[in-house]
Amino acid sequence: MTKYVIGATGALLGALAGVWLMLAPFALAYQGSGADWADPTYVDFWTGLPLLVVSLVGSILYVSGLVEELRRRGIMRRPYAAPAEQPQGSPQTNASSQENNMEQVLMPLVTAMLKDMQERDRERDGARQQSPDDVQQPQNSGEEGSVRR
Amino acid sequence: MAPQARIGLIVTAIGFFAGIWLFLAPFIVEYQKVGQDWIDATRNDLWTGGALIAISVLTLILFGAFALRDAASAAEQRSPTEDGEN
Repeated sequence: MTKYVIGATGALLGALAGVWLMLAPFALAYQGSGADWADPTYVDFWTGLPLLVVSLVGSILYVSGLVEELRRRGIMRRPYAAPAEQPQGSPQTNASSQENNMEQVLMPLVTAMLKDMQERDRERDGARQQSPDDVQQPQNSGEEGSVRR
Repeated sequence: MAPQARIGLIVTAIGFFAGIWLFLAPFIVEYQKVGQDWIDATRNDLWTGGALIAISVLTLILFGAFALRDAASAAEQRSPTEDGEN
């Protein structure tokens, strides 16, 4: 992060040097106002102007790099992209979230069914252990039923 | 390295070469005769060129140093997680 601050500072100083180069012939009075431009004026002006433009572009790039770094670290928020992306999400994440919802809805039903089945199994086992004769009763009753017919 | 940083470094290098140009311009364009007293334009160009060279070199050195420090810390953060995965 510090590197971007250093770069932006350097580029800004370069831009200031460009501004100074454009003004220096008139500020130091080696170019008379109204007179034709002398060689030093041409050199200074046409070096200062591109330097100013290039340095401004450089400082903008360094600052944008700094902003990106701050966003990557979570210090600065993205203005529009992140809130719009989160609720939509990708189709895969939507599908997985729907599956999770279905699981949450079905989970109590499945657990209730399992409980019910376990209770029935226990009741059946308990009945078998308490009266083994009762287990034979259905056979007898079946025979009786067949006799009655 | 981010693309902005790359282009920013190129811009800083352009500033460095502009400084060298300003340093040499009075003698190349010949508005300063060798051996004569320096005129105001020459003094201005030499001081401004020297300052630009110094600013650009300092920026390049410090940027490189801090970029290396960031890369080293990122590598240190990465290596414990990779060890944990293995």
